[in-house]
Amino acid sequence: MAGKTMVVTSGKGGVGKTTTVANLGTVLATKKYSVVMIDGDIGLRNLDVVMGLENRIVYNLVDIIEEKCRIQQAMIRDRKINNLCIIPAAQTREKDAVQPEQMKALCSELAEEFDYVIIDCPAGIERGFKNAIAGAEIAIVVTTPEVSAIRDADRVIGLLEANMLKDIHLIINRMNFKMVKKGDMMSTADIVSLLSVPLLGVIPESDEVVISTNRGTPLVHDRGSRAGQAFRKIAARLNGESVPLDDDRGDGLLGRMKRFFKS
Amino acid sequence: MLKAIRRFFGEKPSGKLARQRMQVVLMHDRLDLTPDVMEALKNDILAVLARYMEIDDQSIRVEMEQGKDFMALVSNVQVKRLYRKPLTQSI
Repeated sequence: MAGKTMVVTSGKGGVGKTTTVANLGTVLATKKYSVVMIDGDIGLRNLDVVMGLENRIVYNLVDIIEEKCRIQQAMIRDRKINNLCIIPAAQTREKDAVQPEQMKALCSELAEEFDYVIIDCPAGIERGFKNAIAGAEIAIVVTTPEVSAIRDADRVIGLLEANMLKDIHLIINRMNFKMVKKGDMMSTADIVSLLSVPLLGVIPESDEVVISTNRGTPLVHDRGSRAGQAFRKIAARLNGESVPLDDDRGDGLLGRMKRFFKS
Repeated sequence: MLKAIRRFFGEKPSGKLARQRMQVVLMHDRLDLTPDVMEALKNDILAVLARYMEIDDQSIRVEMEQGKDFMALVSNVQVKRLYRKPLTQSI
């Protein structure tokens, strides 16, 4: 049976696309699904360093497209998990080295073999974006609670719909629940109502993200991390497991207990 | 404390302000209508109005107007005469 192909996109740069891809891919792979992650950011590759696999690259995405190697040769297996691998982007090439149709063909070929094909989309809405979304059936839009990220996310959602990619989900990254409580940050409900796309989950702002990328080990390996926990829940929802969304309010044990006694 | 004083004097929390600004900005972005969509909209409005009144086809104007915190669709049509009953029950 063919696997699921999904693209993680945002419009704006630096909102956490690559972190999201690395963590979701890792969780799904620990759930025993076979996962391949494709770095779609040709010329500015990053998924390899976030995964800590930068020293193992021989071939890349463009080499596959140009048939300089077989798909298998360009795939790099994760250090910890056997059924997880990445296809790195080319670093010294231009985005137009790949055509949307070629990406589409590659993704459907990979979907034959893998349960999940996750594409890390570059920032922007130009060629790289069009390539990255070409082979995907599901789109995950990542935003942060800032006006610039939300505006770009809305633009991207419009473009996805215009490209007949209608299965769109939202992740809000870097949420600061303390600021929301003070009224100094848009809340989850505010953002969801602005963008009107179903919510997959909310990742709390956390220093752990920087630390895990410094190490090249996805956050979700750390069982105690709150942000990692949020990624695990999102991956479960993607996988069709029912995990209630109201756990994502981030109000800690006390808040959860209050809600428990209220209900 | 300073914030509490400012709130007391009617300063909006910045989160709320951000939401209101985004509502307007996104509406504006989304309403970046292409000329042919605008033309289709104009024709649909004309078709509806024509059931109730005789209008001057050439006179219709449809424009989006930006207010301080809202967006408005403004349409001007010259009416020649009103019908006593709508021409058809539904489109």
